[in-house]
Amino acid sequence: MATETPVDDEVDRGPFERWVRRVIRNPERAYRAMFYTAMIVFLFTTLFPFYWLLVLALTPFNRLANVGLFPNGFNPEAFVRIFEILPFHIYMLNSFILAAMTTVFVLVIASLAGYVFGRLQFPGRGPLMLAVLAISYFPPAAFLLPLFRLFNGNVTIGLFGASISSPNLFNTPWAMVLPFSALFMPLSIFILTTFYGQIPDGLEDAARIEGTTRLGALFRVIVPLSAPGVATAGVLTFIMVYNEFFFSFLMNDGQIPEMLYESGKLLYLSNENHWAPLLKGILGFQGQYTQLYNLMAAASIVGVLPVAVLVVVAQEKIVSGLTQGALKE
Amino acid sequence: MGAESGETLRGGDRGGPYAATVRWMENLSETQFAYLLLVPTFLILGLIAFWPLVRTFDMALHADALVGRAQLGEYVGLNNFVELLTGERDALLVRPLLPDVAVDATFPFVHFDNLFVSAISATLIFSVVSVAFETVIGFGQALVLDQDFRGRRWVRVAIIIPWAVPIVIQGMIFYLMFQPGIGFGVDLVQQLPFFSFSETPLANPVDSMVIIIVADVWKTSAFMALLILAGLQSIDRSLYDVARVSGASKWQQFKYITLPLVFPTVMVAMLFRTIAAMRIFGVIETVSGCNVVPSLSCLVVTTFSNRMYGTAAAVAFLTAAIIGALVLVYIYNYATSGQEGI
Repeated sequence: MATETPVDDEVDRGPFERWVRRVIRNPERAYRAMFYTAMIVFLFTTLFPFYWLLVLALTPFNRLANVGLFPNGFNPEAFVRIFEILPFHIYMLNSFILAAMTTVFVLVIASLAGYVFGRLQFPGRGPLMLAVLAISYFPPAAFLLPLFRLFNGNVTIGLFGASISSPNLFNTPWAMVLPFSALFMPLSIFILTTFYGQIPDGLEDAARIEGTTRLGALFRVIVPLSAPGVATAGVLTFIMVYNEFFFSFLMNDGQIPEMLYESGKLLYLSNENHWAPLLKGILGFQGQYTQLYNLMAAASIVGVLPVAVLVVVAQEKIVSGLTQGALKE
Repeated sequence: MGAESGETLRGGDRGGPYAATVRWMENLSETQFAYLLLVPTFLILGLIAFWPLVRTFDMALHADALVGRAQLGEYVGLNNFVELLTGERDALLVRPLLPDVAVDATFPFVHFDNLFVSAISATLIFSVVSVAFETVIGFGQALVLDQDFRGRRWVRVAIIIPWAVPIVIQGMIFYLMFQPGIGFGVDLVQQLPFFSFSETPLANPVDSMVIIIVADVWKTSAFMALLILAGLQSIDRSLYDVARVSGASKWQQFKYITLPLVFPTVMVAMLFRTIAAMRIFGVIETVSGCNVVPSLSCLVVTTFSNRMYGTAAAVAFLTAAIIGALVLVYIYNYATSGQEGI
């Protein structure tokens, strides 16, 4: 700094001013500093809520009042209690099964549609794609009432003089899997359309000349070659179903099967077909055990873990799938 | 497949109905085959989306049947819509579970004497404010992720994770944060100089709205960031080289290259997010309850659980119509820009 003009020496008051002066001479440094500041701010704001949940979950119950930003003591018992007070693992298992069922269902049906939109030329292609696109934006609230009646067996169709009631699906997986599929299928269809459309025609033609059927060519050639696309659609569907709120909240009564065993014999079984998902488990803590905040926090952490692992493992697929689904189409 | 058919055409070969089906399928024209494969998709969409949409409109034309076994009253034409929009239906919109808390029209940002209109305004305020913040923050996150630096992968994971958090857990986090007694958030917001929060923010409509917007921004900025990042990465890098050679500063590069080129993507992302934000329900239900912040979807669910099926259907249909108008804008953009661009 001494090599500068005398004026500069006069105002030299400390390291910060020296830094500012260097920044003015070389703006690259300022951008660098801005970048690191922004990165740290974003990391802090996205991750802090998780840290705080952990603090809350680890704080012993009798010290919960005015818990600060650090745990008042250490007691991991909450992570065990959540499985004892409510069978939280059953709720989670239900969510897993619902998400897996929907994913398989969506992948099969969206593969057929993706093949059609991606590889076949036919009249009506544009309008049909627009119909699929439009439906994915409508609010689930607009579908709720008729679906609720449908799944409760209140819709009857007259057929050849006899009237058939819709099956009573409320509480069963289907009352949730069907709406989930309709909600999330459009995204998978668009992702798969892009991927299937990129497979060279020659490969499909070769398989057809070898004697494969049309569907055989789809499921033995196109789908395996588009494995990354299928994985992308699958991961996104799984996460979105696991996270869904509206139908998970309204299409079941929050009950799960209750069983009472005595010396290996089943004494009592109720709600055998009730499939309440994770959401009802979490809200169960909020509703029934209003003061047990540490349990709510622990249940939230356990509930987030599976998707957090999925994000870490499959982040490339999530990024490409989300951007494709929204922008390319 | 086809094994149970019993009869085979040739030894060991699959025959019967299976072979017949295959032969039939192979002989279809491309158009016929395309429509055949689309049958399952449109069966599901028809059953879960198209049919309910039409049925909802039909239900909206019927009166509520508050007593008796029938679920719908007599045909009343557009009466439900008229009464909702004029506010005559408000007296009935009381929730049975919380007898003390009548859903009233005092949602305080904009004073309307009409519950339905205040539900619309609550939904619009939420959507506009949260999408505006998400765009700015998402843009910032996208600019950070667009740089090359060590550990970029992990920063990206950290930024995406809130997007993957189940809505109910997102709501639970903010419910706990602003819970008097344990949440540090209550003390924190009461020290803010520019905005005074009440001691129980989750029971106050304005405070709850702010908290719900913060919760939504926390979760969905990442989605915005990913879309804008895709836009940023599609910009031709050589433009920046040209700019640097011509002596443009970083700020000028941003202003004259990045911003104009990424603008269409940002617009689409904003429209996309606005459509999604208008459906807001889950966070409200978990954080403060539908009686505190009545969004449109909330109003559908509360009237529905009060067995006011006609009214619920009318609200649901109007919600769909409002969102449908936005969807049309999006579809129009999509259709006019062709298959390639945005």
